[in-house]
Amino acid sequence: MTTPALKVTNLSVWFENGSSRLTVVDQISFSINAGDATGLVGESGCGKTMTAMAILGLLPESGVNVRSDGIEINGRDISTLNTGQRRAVLGRDIAMIFQQPATALDPVFTMGQQISAVYRRHTGGSKQQARKSMLQALESVGFSDADDIAASYPHELSGGMRQLAMIAMATVCKPAVIIADEPTTALDNSTRALILEQLKHLRKLHRTAILFISHDLAVVRQICRDVMVMYCGRLMEKTDCQSLFAHARHPYSAGLLSCIPQISDTQPPPIKSIPGQIPAPADLPLGCHFAPRCNRAEAQCRTSIPQLDCDNGTGAACFRPL
Amino acid sequence: MNTSNLVNTPPLLEIRDLSLSFHQQAQVAVDRVSLNLAAGRTLGLVGASGAGKSSIARAILRLVKPDSGEILFKGKDIYRMNPHDLKATRQRIQLVFQDPSVSLSPRRTVEQTLREPLQHFAIGDADHQRQKIRGILQTVGLDQGALNRYPHQFSSGQQQRIAIARALITNPDLLIADEAVSSLDVSIQAQILQLIQMLQKDFGISILFISHDLAVIRQIADDVAVMYQGQLLEQSPADQFFSGPSHPYSKSLLSFAQGKTPSGWPDDKWYLERTRQSTGDASTCVFSGYCPDKMPVCERLEPAMHDIHHKNQHVLGPYCVKCHLYDEVKINDH
Repeated sequence: MTTPALKVTNLSVWFENGSSRLTVVDQISFSINAGDATGLVGESGCGKTMTAMAILGLLPESGVNVRSDGIEINGRDISTLNTGQRRAVLGRDIAMIFQQPATALDPVFTMGQQISAVYRRHTGGSKQQARKSMLQALESVGFSDADDIAASYPHELSGGMRQLAMIAMATVCKPAVIIADEPTTALDNSTRALILEQLKHLRKLHRTAILFISHDLAVVRQICRDVMVMYCGRLMEKTDCQSLFAHARHPYSAGLLSCIPQISDTQPPPIKSIPGQIPAPADLPLGCHFAPRCNRAEAQCRTSIPQLDCDNGTGAACFRPL
Repeated sequence: MNTSNLVNTPPLLEIRDLSLSFHQQAQVAVDRVSLNLAAGRTLGLVGASGAGKSSIARAILRLVKPDSGEILFKGKDIYRMNPHDLKATRQRIQLVFQDPSVSLSPRRTVEQTLREPLQHFAIGDADHQRQKIRGILQTVGLDQGALNRYPHQFSSGQQQRIAIARALITNPDLLIADEAVSSLDVSIQAQILQLIQMLQKDFGISILFISHDLAVIRQIADDVAVMYQGQLLEQSPADQFFSGPSHPYSKSLLSFAQGKTPSGWPDDKWYLERTRQSTGDASTCVFSGYCPDKMPVCERLEPAMHDIHHKNQHVLGPYCVKCHLYDEVKINDH
């Protein structure tokens, strides 16, 4: 059995508000092997980004509680590191691609300076080496004019180019794991296709494990083999993309799928939606969090919490799966 | 879908040869665009970011001044209206923006936000206004408890419902939705699309629906207009567009939207063009640099907008394409 590139065990994140506890990530576990991409999908507020930030240790120390039984990168637990030790890991072993490159990049440094800085921070290499690696990183994401891009400031690049440059920055140290948080959400279709191609290419090239966070199942399907569906901080279903699209087992997953508009030759039927709204973290229902919106729910669903049964790594947290 | 009044009545909105530029005409945002929107129809305006879609929406509302061209609303040029007519027209054209969290005033309750357009246009007395506000909330699927709450107390889907309610409360004939569902989650997006479909059916409202997402356009548009670098390349009825778009650029857009790389697509990263090609140069087709079907003439001569109705006599609404591939058809026709 190979050691997974990323292994997260029983990760929880919660806020304490007086005597009440607002749980935003509830005991989630998963692992991703080198060279694989796993999608984490769910609606805004379901805890996707919180999961990413908790894995990276980027949540503030006061006010937020993070607990886990281990966050391992290639077998090494990073959940117990102090700030200094963590800095050595971030960017070298695990890197993040953010949704808005315009705000994630520093406006007063050129792309070349920003990417080289990451390289030099982690390898201590010379300026020449850093420049060489920086140009290589830019070329590996598809820029033919890497010199030009390196000399550009973020505002001189288009949205798609900025996102590619950020991917170059994330990959300059060839980390084992990349967390991509909605990397294509702000982009139009053709640019999105290009970014996804580049991520696929890099995954193969460096055997990087990718945790791909998105609210868009259609995009996840294009890049990921496996997928996890999250709702109100819990994993509802964990399976491979093919099975999910062919036969979603959790009613929430099925509901999400039915919301995706389809392109067809003929006038499509009116779109379906999931009735009701996501409950606020302060008043989560007992039992299955999805029960109040679920047309298959029965008494048991409202009182006890269904567990994600993952004997072979896949399953749905549901008493009455489809 | 309303087809009955397509034949005789003039279009509700007619844009003729609209050009619009910024920075002393250094950047052409809209380049000689002509568009028609018939009453009761929904026109989906698509194109990559920077294609000029939002500039058209802003020009219709007279928020920016075009360099040339006309925008006729019910046959009247909105840029030549007197202030009185302009105010009356603005009541009939309303806008829904992309992100409700910034387009709603954070310091006003829902009731205050919804009352303002009624007061501005002096619609009804206080009692009538109150009734109208309650009615519109029901239409967009919010309960009366929403009235005294502030935008931040709502989810993004509910906020967008409030924004739509604000737009609808003046009984507009034309609703402009600028990426109105693009920032929403798929499940919320589906709920808002359902609401828009209900408005089309029950109110017969005309909608200019701007989006980069073809799947969303497919769901609600009767007609599709495609823009590229400020120019209109195609306007087709939705069924024709989605069963086979006419312009090579539209074909590539549709392929990308279906998750495929278009066949014959050049390898170079055309989307990464840092500077926009100058659209002031009228001697080429704007898309000729990347077109898989490029012919020598495409680099010498700007194509004309060809009406391609004659092949499809049964098709209602504008059906035209700006491409040299259709020159032949035109020549044979005459």
